[in-house]
Formats: sequence, structure tokens, C-alpha cells
Amino acid sequence: MIETLLTPLQYDYMLKAIFLSGVIGGVCAFLSCFITLKGWSLMGDALSHSVVPGVAVAYYAGWPFAAGAFVTGLLAAVGMGFVKANTRLREDAVIGVVFTAFFALGLLLISLYPSQVDLRSIVFGNILGISNPDIVQVLIISGVTLLVLGFKWRDLLLFCFDPNQARALGLNTTVLHFTLLTLLSATAVAALQTVGACLVVAMLVTPGATAYLLTDRFGKMIGIAMSMGVGSSIVGAYVSYFFDGSTGGCIVTLQSALFVAALVFAPKHGLIGQRARRRAAALGAGATEAAT
Amino acid sequence: MNPVSTEMSVCVSDVTASYPNGNVALRAASFALEGGAICALVGVNGSGKSTLFKAIMGLLKPTAGTVTIAGRPVKAALKENLVAYVPQSEEVDWSFPVSVWDVVLMGRYGYMNFMRTPRAEDRRIAEESLVRVGMLEFRERQIGELSGGQRKRVFLARALAQRGRVILLDEPFTGVDVNTETAIIALLRELRAAGHIILVSTHNLGSVPEFCDHVVLINRTVLAAGPIAEVFTEENLQRTFGGALRHFRFDESTVQNHDGRAVTLLTDDERPLVFGKGGHVEYSKRAEHAEILKKRTEREGDD
Repeated sequence: MIETLLTPLQYDYMLKAIFLSGVIGGVCAFLSCFITLKGWSLMGDALSHSVVPGVAVAYYAGWPFAAGAFVTGLLAAVGMGFVKANTRLREDAVIGVVFTAFFALGLLLISLYPSQVDLRSIVFGNILGISNPDIVQVLIISGVTLLVLGFKWRDLLLFCFDPNQARALGLNTTVLHFTLLTLLSATAVAALQTVGACLVVAMLVTPGATAYLLTDRFGKMIGIAMSMGVGSSIVGAYVSYFFDGSTGGCIVTLQSALFVAALVFAPKHGLIGQRARRRAAALGAGATEAAT
Repeated sequence: MNPVSTEMSVCVSDVTASYPNGNVALRAASFALEGGAICALVGVNGSGKSTLFKAIMGLLKPTAGTVTIAGRPVKAALKENLVAYVPQSEEVDWSFPVSVWDVVLMGRYGYMNFMRTPRAEDRRIAEESLVRVGMLEFRERQIGELSGGQRKRVFLARALAQRGRVILLDEPFTGVDVNTETAIIALLRELRAAGHIILVSTHNLGSVPEFCDHVVLINRTVLAAGPIAEVFTEENLQRTFGGALRHFRFDESTVQNHDGRAVTLLTDDERPLVFGKGGHVEYSKRAEHAEILKKRTEREGDD
């Protein structure tokens, strides 16, 4: 039994995959706290799809994939900002139009020159077959993101909470805006390797959303989200060996299961907790009010 | 740090601001305030009130004209933490996972290091600010768990912690209980006495003469600005609001000939604005405005 459980760990590629998934899961989870609070979930989805043409071009040109992805990711973000500022369209429509345009272009490029890049590994991720240079890129992205978030989380938190106050304190909110946007594109690129373009948004939203249901304190929210991100990614990658299934699928399914659990059982903001409180309030409205 | 001895001033000169679509929100607006003032910005929605606020806070760059605070451009004043701001309740995400304490500490960011780690000094000032608004015991509460009045006090404490010398309040009395309103007004008066400039954006006309000493009337530009007694007249308000004000004239109403019995005017949470027969503003408490009443009787005696 134990021998079976340990088999995945005997393979180098499995160890790498488990380790990298954990790192990416943790970084994405840290960022997801800001993304959910800022209301940028759709933006995360959009950026993760918009990096695809960049990845394709980078592979043909022999650049690091991150560079290409980064360029198209930011192009998409700037494009969305431009269209929104200059038209009467609502943001969701703008995001929908721009990111699908980029994603479609990416698919087209890959299908035109199929020999160099594998469409499947971009769309669905291929952490088990990740190459060493790619590992280095993912680690660099993760390291830089962790550093920036670690040093500037208080500024970013204020920027999400009350951008006007940030301005009134003399903070440069344009820089903060682009910092968050850049980190989002960068981690989207890193997560692309693990779970693929389609599921990146889950890594960038679900842990933060789950943690938000469980706590009212930002510090705890980061802790919960990161443990969940790291844990689910490691377990997901490990388990995928036995299922012989998609690593991304395993990780995101696990995260979604945790989200559902939080949704139902969270003490304060969960469905059961809310119902109980509503009942208590209905029973002894006056008494509980006086006590608090 | 801000040397308290410096005279505080806000000077808005010929400020024009337009939206990206080319519509002009505010044209050639000018007014000036000297330290130790509570000034109301009064105008209907869309009059350019919030545009003016944003220009003073540096959120918006005027297309023409300048704003200076203590003689410095807005940007420099912001770097010195001179401008503090208390947002309108609707603008705040009350479910955000921050505690009262977190919010008040945010007022100290401008004094903290690169990582914004609070020092003992920052904690002391934050605590002191919470005591001043009577909210210290709520410091661990998540902000959404507070009442309307308590929420307002927390953001006021943040402005105090920032040690801002120009404080902007956006609709401070909306959704606030009467006790909090009184407490806030008392606090604003203390700040005025300490030489601060308080700018209050409001459409609640009745509250203006109660606690403000200056007023700026806005309708796409500054129509009039200055001390309440000179500027806050029925005629100016008619110009500011056009036909948007409701009237209740006592002499045309059924309450005339009231043979010595008192007339009671009740309103909801908004204070009524009452002009006397001479066209002057009537105050709700005679005692607080003894000085004004004395002057008025003297003047009427001269006529």
C-alpha cells in the first residue's frame, strides 16, 4: 500500500511537477486575494487567455515563453483600457471582445504552425512535461511576484480598498494599478504551465474567494488562501499520477471542492451559518442586539 | 512633518475641468480659504461639487487654472500628508476584510517606511485618534459590523491619524444618527480652532448654517463664496438651485396669525433651512448664536 503511494515520488518528473505546482499554486493564491477584492476576476480570465498568442510567437522565435506571453498579456490589458475609455461599451463587453480576439489569434497561429508548439499543452497545461528552461522562468516569475507582494501588500491593499485615500496620501495609484496588472499577467503565464490557459483563472480566483468566505481579516485571508493554493496544487499534482488524468483538472477540481465546502460550512459567511444567524435574529432580535 | 505654526490655506483659482467626452464639469471656479474654517460646498448633484473636491484632492487634473494648498501645488501638499479625506459611505466596500484598526492605520501610511510597517509612534497616534472619536473599544471589529454613525467616525479617525490640515468630508451626515452628528460637529469645531480647514460637501442645506462659517455655492462654477452671513442668502441659494428647491412659506401657509403659540417645523433627518422675515438665516439654538442675534437686533435697531 505504502509502496503504491510512494511510487509517484520515485519519478523525477513527478517530483518536479509536484514542487512546481505547489510554488505556482501558492503564488497565484497570494495574488488571488487582491484579485477577488479588487473585482478583477474577469480580468484574470481575460489575461490568461490573451497570453496564448504571445506564447506561440515566443516559441517560434525562440524567445523565452514568458517574454512573449507578457507582451501580449499587457497589450490586451492596454487594449481593453483603451476601448473602454473611448467607447460607450460596458466593461464586460470590452473584456469579452478583446480577450477572445487574442485567444483566437493564438489558436490560429498554433494551428498554422503546429510542429513547434503543442496546442494541448498551452490550453490544458503540461506540468509533467515541463522543460528545464521553462522551470527556471516559472521560478523567476514566482520569486519576483512573491517579493513584490511581500513588500508592497499594504499599498496594494489600500489601492484595492480605497484608491482615493491612496491618492490623497500621495501614493502613485497608476503605478500600483500597473503593478497589479503586471503581476496578474506574469502569474497567469506561470500558471499556464500547470493548469493551462482555460483553468488559470481558477488558480487566480478560487483560493482568494474561498478564504474570503472564511475570514474577515486580510492577514488570515492570505494565510488561508496560500495554504489552500499550495496544498491543493501539491495534492492535485500527486493524485493525477494515479488517475493518469489532467493535472490541471485535478488541482482545480480540488480547489472547487474546497470552495463548495467553505460555501456551505463557513462559520459566518457560509450558507448554514447565515441561516442559523437569521433564525437566531428572528427569534431573539432584541436580546442579541442588546448583547452586542 | 507639518509645522503647525504655518498658516493653512486653500486657494482655487480659475479652475476649469472637463470630462473625457468634452463636457465641461466646472468652469473658471475660484475661491480661497484661510486656516481655521469650516466651509460647506453646496450645489445640486452634477453641479461640479465632486469635481471640485477631486481637484483639491489631486484625483483630477484641471484643464485650466490651479489649486494650491498652503501655497504649494496639490501634489506637493499630498506628499506632506496635508490633505485628508473622509469618503461618502456609498463609496466604501463595507464587506472588505479590514478591521477598524487597519483602517485607522492606513491614515499613517504616508509616515511609514517602504513596507508600511507601523512604528510605535504610528500606533500611538492611531489609538489617540480612535479615542478622540470614541471608537477605541471597536478597534478589532470588521468595518461592516458597525452602525452608520460608527462607520463615519472610523474614517474621521483615519483623517485625524493622518494629521491632515485640510480635511475633506463628502456628505458626512448621510445615514448618521443625531448623536454622531453632534459629536462630529463638535470635533470639526475643535479642528477649526486648531487652525485646520474643513471642507464639507453637502446638499443638506439646513445643516450648513449650524456648523459652517464659510460657504461656496456651486453650479458649474463658483456662484458665490465667503462667510455664511454674507453669502448664504435666499437669493444666492435660488441662483444655485434654480427651481430645484422646495418652498414652505410661513406667511402664505396656514400657520399665520398664530397668536403667541409656537410654530413647530418637523423634518426627517435633514435639517430644515429657515429664513427669517428679514431674509436672514434662522438658527435652531438661540444660545449658540447669541452673538449673531445680538448683532442682528442692533442692526434692526439702527434701521
